Amino acid sequence: MDTNMIEKVTKLVLSRIQEESHSKTNEERVNIWDHTTSNPKAKSIVSSPESHEEAGGRVTFSSFPSTKKEEENGTKSVVKTFPVSSKKQKENKSKNSDDFKQLTNSTPARIGVGRAGVRPKTDAWLRFRYDHAAAVDAVYGNVDKSLLDALDLFSVNTKVTDKETYIRRPDYGRRLSEEAKKKIKNKCMHSPQVQIIVSDGLSSKAIDENLEDVYLSLQQSLDNLGFNVGTPFFIEKGRVAVMDDVGEALEPEVAILLIGERPGLISAESLSAYLCYKPRLNTIESDRMVISNIHSGGIPPVEAGAYLGSVIEKVLKYEASGVALVKKEG
Amino acid sequence: MDRKKREELLSAGIDIGTSTTKLVISKFSLTNTAGSTHMPRIEITDTDVIYRSPIFRTPLKSGHEIDMDEVERIVISQYQEAGISVDDIQTGAVIITGETATKTNAEEMINHLSNHAGEFLVATAGPDLESIIAGKGSGAHAYSKQTNRTVANIDIGGGTANVAVYKYGKLLGTCTLHIGGKLIEFKNGVVNYIAPYIKRIEDQLDLQLEVGKSVVDKDIKKLTDYMAQTISNMLGQKLNESDELLLGHKPNWEGKVDAIMFSGGVSECIYHPDKCSTTGIYDDIGVRLAKSLTDHPELSSWEWLEPNETVRATVLGAGTQTTEISGATIQVDNQTLPIRNLPVYKISFSGDFQSNLSLLPQLIEEGIQIFDPKKEGQNFALYLTELPLLGFKDMQQLSKALIKAVEKKRSPQPLIIVLERDLAKSLGQTLRTINNKQPTVCIDQINIEHGDYLDIGRLLESGVVPVVIKTLTFQK
Repeated sequence: MDTNMIEKVTKLVLSRIQEESHSKTNEERVNIWDHTTSNPKAKSIVSSPESHEEAGGRVTFSSFPSTKKEEENGTKSVVKTFPVSSKKQKENKSKNSDDFKQLTNSTPARIGVGRAGVRPKTDAWLRFRYDHAAAVDAVYGNVDKSLLDALDLFSVNTKVTDKETYIRRPDYGRRLSEEAKKKIKNKCMHSPQVQIIVSDGLSSKAIDENLEDVYLSLQQSLDNLGFNVGTPFFIEKGRVAVMDDVGEALEPEVAILLIGERPGLISAESLSAYLCYKPRLNTIESDRMVISNIHSGGIPPVEAGAYLGSVIEKVLKYEASGVALVKKEG
Repeated sequence: MDRKKREELLSAGIDIGTSTTKLVISKFSLTNTAGSTHMPRIEITDTDVIYRSPIFRTPLKSGHEIDMDEVERIVISQYQEAGISVDDIQTGAVIITGETATKTNAEEMINHLSNHAGEFLVATAGPDLESIIAGKGSGAHAYSKQTNRTVANIDIGGGTANVAVYKYGKLLGTCTLHIGGKLIEFKNGVVNYIAPYIKRIEDQLDLQLEVGKSVVDKDIKKLTDYMAQTISNMLGQKLNESDELLLGHKPNWEGKVDAIMFSGGVSECIYHPDKCSTTGIYDDIGVRLAKSLTDHPELSSWEWLEPNETVRATVLGAGTQTTEISGATIQVDNQTLPIRNLPVYKISFSGDFQSNLSLLPQLIEEGIQIFDPKKEGQNFALYLTELPLLGFKDMQQLSKALIKAVEKKRSPQPLIIVLERDLAKSLGQTLRTINNKQPTVCIDQINIEHGDYLDIGRLLESGVVPVVIKTLTFQK
C-alpha cells in the first residue's frame, strides 16, 4: 500500500481525536505517539469523565493450560497461564484443561488463544502476524532456481511480467507468452502420454518445500507403471488453466500441473496437483481434477507423488478426468 | 476409490464364555469419507448386525474340557440359520472368555474354530482384550467419545468381571476380577459347585458353603456383598495386590471414574430385574450378585449408565469392533495375502533418522533371533513407528536398508511392513523399484504394539485390506 496514504489517514484520525478531546473538559490524559513521523512526539488527548464508567465487577479469566505448539519455523511458544482467582476453578483445572486440550488438538485453527480485554493476547497476535507475513512472502517470493536446476526443469513465462499484474490479471497467468510456446515446442517431446508441468502459482514456498519429493516420487511411480512421460518444465507465474496452452502446444494425453496454492494462515506452503485429460483451449473446468493440501502437515509429499501415479493410471484407463471420470467409473 | 460405491464386508463374532456361547453376524459398509480433493480414506461407516444367535449354554465335556464338536455344530447351524455360508465370512473374531479360557483344551479349540468357521476369522483370548472388546460392544467406548466423562464398563459374566475404562474414546486401563455368576452353582437347592477362588476367601468371610450342602441365603448374600464391595474398591483404586479376587494386574488407569456401565450376563439382571425374578434360569449366584450390586451404597455414588447391549456386549464387540481398515494408499502383492498370526516386531525411528537407519540391519537380525531362532522360516511384520516426515531420498535409503536386511533371511519371505504414518504407497513403490522380485506387503495407518499378532486379509475392491490385531494370551 501507499505509505503516503497511510500517513495521511493516520494524521487525519489523530487530529479528529484531538479535536474531540479538546471540546471536553475534566480530562484524563492519554498519550498518543504519531508513529508515522521520523521523530515521534507524544501528544496527549483527554477523555470525558462521563464516558468513563467504573466496571461493575472484576473480569476473571478462565484458566488456559500451557500448551506447546510447534511453530512452522521450529521455534516453540508457550501459551501462558493466567493465575486463577477462584478456588473452585482450581479444583476443576485438571479436568478442564484435559477437555481443553482435546479441543485444541482437534484442529489447527486458532481456538482458545485467550484474550487481554477485548484484544487477542500478544503472543497470539504476534503468531497471527507471523503467519500472515509468511503468506505474503509466499505470494511475492520467487522459487529457488537451484532446485529447478537440480530437477532439470527449464523455465518459461506466461503473459505476466510482474507480480502485481499476476495478481490483478488472472487471465494473463492462464496463457503462455509467445516465446514460451516456441520454447516448449522446440525443447519438449511432442504428444507424450503424461506431461508434468510445475508452476509457482500463488506460493513459491510450496514449490521450494514440496516439489522435490512429490516430483521424484511421481516420476518413480510413472516409471513403474511404464508410461511415456514428456519433458517436464517450469512455468513462472502461472495459473491452473495455463495447462490448456501447454495442451495445445504439446498435445499430451494427460497433463499434471504441480502448482502452489493460495497461502492461508495455517500453511503457506501447500501444493496442489491439477490433472486433466487432453487439456485444450476449449477444456471446461469440470474436466479438471485436483489433489490438494500436499505439505508436511497435510498429505505427505512423497505419498502424494506415489498416489498421483495411480490417479494418472486411472485417467488414462478411462480416458477422462474430473466429473467425466466419476461418471465413467459408474 | 470410487466415492459412490459402498463395499460390504461380512463379519462374524463368536463368544465362548464360562456359561454361555453366542454368535452375531454383522455387515460392514466401507465408504470413502475423504473429500474429493484428498487422498481416499476408507472407513467402516456403518455396522449392521444382521443376525443374533440365541444364547446357548457353553457345551462342556467335563468340568475342564470344552466340547469342541458341539461348539462347531452350534456355529455351523447358526450360519445356516442366518443364511450364510462359511465362505461368506470375511473377517471377525472368535473370543474365548472368562474361566473358559483356562479350560484345558481352550487354545486347541479356538484355533480349530477359527480354521473352520470362516477363512479370515481370528482367535483371540486374554482378560485385557476381553475387557476392551466388551467395553466397545456395550457402548461405553462410544459414550466416552461423545462426552468428556470417564466411563468404566464392567462386564460380568459367569466366571470373571472385566473392566475397561475409557475417556475421549481412548482406553485408560483395564482390570479383571474373579467375580461372576457361575462361581457358585446350585442344583435343587443344594450347592453343586464352588470355584476355587471362592474357597480362598471362605475363612475371611466366615462362610459355611460346601458342595452337597443346602444353600444358606445369608452366606450367599455375604459373598455377593463382598464382591460388590470389591468392585467398588477397584473403581476407587483401593484394591490391594494381594486381593484374592484380583486376576492379573491391579487397576492401571489414572484419574477418577465418572460413570459406570454394566454389561455381560449378570447385568441383564441389573437393568431388567423383572426378567430375572425366577432365580432358576442358570441356578447360580448371578441374580443375587446383581441385587447386591444394585443395592450397594458406595456403588451408587457413581453415575450409572445403561449399556446398548447387556449379555451380548462381548460378542458384539468381537464381531463389530475387532476389524480395522488399513490406509487407502498402500502397496500389496495380493497373492501373498491373506496372512495370519504374524508376530509384530516394532522398530522405533524416534530421534535421528540416519542413526536409526544404520541400526536397522542389527535390529532386524535381533528380530530374526526372537521370532525365528532356528531359521525355520517364521516370518514377522516390521512395524516402523515414529518415522519423521520422509523425503524421497530418505525413502530410497530406508528401502535399500530394508531390502538389504531382508536378504539376510535364509529362506525367501515376503517383506511385511506396517507403518503408523500414511507413507505405505511411496515406500512400497520404492521397494519395488529397488527389487521387483521381492514380494512385499506395505500397509499403513495401523496402530499395533510389540508382541501383538496380526492378520491381514485380501485386498478389497476399495483398495484397502482388513486388519485384525490380536493379543493371544491364554491364562495358564
